[in-house]
Amino acid sequence: MKQPAFRSSISGKTMSLCSIRFLFLATVLSLATLSARAQDILIPMDIRQSNHLKAYGIVFWLLEQGETVDWLLNYRGGSFLASGFNGLEQELQVREVQFERIGTGASARIVAEVESEEHNTAIVRLETAPNIAVYAPEQTLPWDDAVLLALEYAEVTYDILYDDKILEGHLREYDWLHLHHEDFTGQYGKFLQYRNIPWYIEQQRETEQMAARYGFRKASHLKLEVARTIKEYVGQGGFLFAMCSGTDTYDLALAAHRTDIVPSEYDGDPVDPDALSRLDFDMTLAFENFTPVFHPAEYEHANIDAGPPPPALRNQAIDYFTLFEFSAKWDPVPTMLTQNHVATLKGFIGQTTNFRKAFVKPSVVVLAEAPNRDEVKYLHGNFGEGTFTFYAGHDPEDYQHYVGDPPTDLDLHKNSPGYRLILNNILFPAAKKKKQKT
Amino acid sequence: MKRTFLPIRSWIGVVVLTAPIWAPAADAAGQQQENPQIVRFRLADTFLRSGQFDQAIGLLEDLYAEAPRNDAFYEKLKEAYENVKRYEEAAALVKARLVDTRSAALLSDLAHIRYLQGNEKDAHATWQEAVETAPTDPNTYRVVYRSLLGVRQFERAVLLLEQARSATGQAALFRVELAYLCSISGLHEKAAEEYLALLKENDQHLNFVRSRLGSFLEEEEALASSLAVVQDAVRTDPLYRAWRELLGWLYIEAEDFGNALGEYRAVDGLESGQGRMLFEFARTAADAGAWNKASEAYREVLARYPDAPAAPRTLAAFGAMHMRWAAEIGERTFDETGDRVNAPHYDEVLAAYRTFLQQYPNHELYPDVLHRIGRLQQDVFLDTGSAESIFRQVVSIFPNTRAADQAAFDLAGIAILHGQLDDARLRFNRLIERLRTGDLVEQARFKLAGIHMFAGEFDAAQSLLDIIDTHTSTDVSNDAIALKILLLENRGPDSLDMPLRRYASALLAREQRRPLAALDSADALLSMYPGHALADEARFLRGEILLAAGRGQEAYETFAEIPLMYPASFLADRALFEAAGILSRESGKREEAIAAYRRLLSEYPGSLFAGKARDQIRRLRGDGV
Repeated sequence: MKQPAFRSSISGKTMSLCSIRFLFLATVLSLATLSARAQDILIPMDIRQSNHLKAYGIVFWLLEQGETVDWLLNYRGGSFLASGFNGLEQELQVREVQFERIGTGASARIVAEVESEEHNTAIVRLETAPNIAVYAPEQTLPWDDAVLLALEYAEVTYDILYDDKILEGHLREYDWLHLHHEDFTGQYGKFLQYRNIPWYIEQQRETEQMAARYGFRKASHLKLEVARTIKEYVGQGGFLFAMCSGTDTYDLALAAHRTDIVPSEYDGDPVDPDALSRLDFDMTLAFENFTPVFHPAEYEHANIDAGPPPPALRNQAIDYFTLFEFSAKWDPVPTMLTQNHVATLKGFIGQTTNFRKAFVKPSVVVLAEAPNRDEVKYLHGNFGEGTFTFYAGHDPEDYQHYVGDPPTDLDLHKNSPGYRLILNNILFPAAKKKKQKT
Repeated sequence: MKRTFLPIRSWIGVVVLTAPIWAPAADAAGQQQENPQIVRFRLADTFLRSGQFDQAIGLLEDLYAEAPRNDAFYEKLKEAYENVKRYEEAAALVKARLVDTRSAALLSDLAHIRYLQGNEKDAHATWQEAVETAPTDPNTYRVVYRSLLGVRQFERAVLLLEQARSATGQAALFRVELAYLCSISGLHEKAAEEYLALLKENDQHLNFVRSRLGSFLEEEEALASSLAVVQDAVRTDPLYRAWRELLGWLYIEAEDFGNALGEYRAVDGLESGQGRMLFEFARTAADAGAWNKASEAYREVLARYPDAPAAPRTLAAFGAMHMRWAAEIGERTFDETGDRVNAPHYDEVLAAYRTFLQQYPNHELYPDVLHRIGRLQQDVFLDTGSAESIFRQVVSIFPNTRAADQAAFDLAGIAILHGQLDDARLRFNRLIERLRTGDLVEQARFKLAGIHMFAGEFDAAQSLLDIIDTHTSTDVSNDAIALKILLLENRGPDSLDMPLRRYASALLAREQRRPLAALDSADALLSMYPGHALADEARFLRGEILLAAGRGQEAYETFAEIPLMYPASFLADRALFEAAGILSRESGKREEAIAAYRRLLSEYPGSLFAGKARDQIRRLRGDGV
């Protein structure tokens, strides 16, 4: 796997603050290059930003150009600092991204402020554009995929992989893998009511054919093998981001590796009567001690999902979740994943809406929760050399996305805090966690 | 004693499950509810539903031991064993029954269990054995087919049903089942073949076939395969109407309007439809923007069936289609110097409508078509005299029609064009009084407000605009609001509101198609009141007039100087956008156009045109975003 190079956290800018003499010398020495790089560009990510989502795309674009970008964690909503160069401003304008030209002196002052011990801020240098893979079938399914929408809108390049590519070992070519509305249990999303609709029939047929091609009798066996391969990828240093049912069904499939939790309506044979006692929670990434839902017509895979909010709160005007604040200098990874211009975000429902806190493994870091409900919206954890991040809900800007609904137009949600959380994840692999302060 | 499970079980499974229970109970009439077996059976069923499999199986085993020939007990016990994956016991249960009777149903049960056990080879051998119990009886195949469906063995099921046909000698057996099975298995060619055969047997099934096939046509492969099969079929029997109509429909689904036309033409000929099918095709093609093919179809209807009942509507639709076509391609009837140029689509519209009037003088569409000609003369061919004469005809010959109301409105517009503002005012007022409400009334009010403005009666204009303003659901509301703001913000500096009068004169001259006079008025305003609040609007109007007159370079210069002279003007960003647009339309000025759009983004980042400017930059850069 390609590992992004990492530069020391003590950047040239902070070093220039070491002494006035050094600053003077550095200024003199850099005079020759000032004409080429007279200004830095600050991309603020607070409420003044005109298009937060495209800002991530610009950072990604800069990394692809071979530039480095400093991510100023907790500074003005998680702003970005880049060297100005010919064409950058124009690109920022074209992509509607608000920016500020700042002189090198001002730039150094910002860096010093961010690195100061007085503030809960830190700098992470982003150096290499991560290779991104999205796990999605070729078949067009009648619901939107929030990450694909975010990547498309932000103009971030990615490849689409599905079961065949994963089983053939292509995951190692990527730094980041995204899963969205996927069902790793082989129950086709538990969309039993759509079983006579062509997209469902096609999905089931293609999965069965794929399973047969790789020597599996059932879709659940194929999906389990895919889940295992992804877990192996994470263990070897991959970054996994999953949303909606791609989260709990992933762990559910792994936990059920030695039993059958799929009702006959989906695979032709019944659930193992001893399935509950045969679940293996040592295999899962984020959840434990949960119970699968065996009813074939119940649109739920396990009790991991807390489901939609109680009726009194099932209103997009009052349903929300809150982000935790982490120490930027001590916990840069959770801090990166929670960068936002707001601390309270609109809730949104999905097949998996929120995770019940009782089933979250103790080793997992909770990044966001639904207040007063013992429910987790967003979590992060490590496995082996890699990490995983699970984000519950289907579409941050469509409170309740139904099958057949049109995809969300992100041009109408340029500042979406919910979508920002997705895009934090694509930049996170561009950085490497620096040595923890002790 | 030989028992026959097969026919009963294959007919209605639900009945089979309950009937045998009631049969012994019938001997003791009146005691059915108290039958302890029934009570235990129900209890077992409740246990099964609640997942208490062990209790259910215990009860069912006892019941089955007491009544081993009871089909319901057998079925439920087998189901219970399968539910807990006790496949060996389920198989033993079936095998015990097979000792007495080797029926297709029991063998299928056994095959099913073997498949669930993962023993696919034995399962298929057993299904085959089931078939061999009565290989010429279609019910045998039905039982085995359903067993195969239970474990999603669709392709095996397809083979089985084909085998059934050859074994029974009934080539049409399982037609619908086979077609559907093929579709869900991705065997689209076979599915199409079955549907064709179904149609051959009964052409009344065309809608059913279209509905069944249509649901799978989103898959490209399904469409291509179905097309190929139906094409072949039509080649073998080109005179079979239902096949050809199906093929025409498939071509339309594939957006191949050329071939679709051929099929609809053939269908029309086969059914002596007098152009009905061709007309339907033409409308579909026109709606899809397949103008050439739509035009061809319309022409053909008109040429081949001039006396058909559909001919008048076809002619009117043909004209309307060319109107849409001309608008889409931006066809012009005059060049920049004002000379008439060839405009084939508009000419076609005019010719079609004139023919209509000539051939169908008593048709109900006559007033409407006559009015359409008037509008064409006025708006496209700029022949006001001819338009006026036509509108007068519509009003006098066809009073109290919608066309007459429209014509009355248009006559008032022509009065403005001639500078007869009082006459126009009178006409609009009459229309408002007569109709009272509706879109046309709102438009008439807006026009009246404009007349007041042209006449320098700004207060009267504002009063009328206030009325329109309250009806924000109408189309003219936005225009009314804009005009109202113009009047509110640009009165003075003298009591006569001279700059506003000049500006109104320029607007009137433009409406009267007198661009030079309009330019003179705008220029006069700019030279006499260069610092007035209307200066930016006058300059923008100047740019618009020049652009409409084909004086692109001058228009560009006019637009480009607006942001320089009036950087704070609400028109500055729009003027810059217009200037960039002129550059981008001119070949070789791509970079200048991009620079102009970028200037808009830099200087007016909050502009409503920023999004469009970004799109234009990307289009000019060839970003493909």
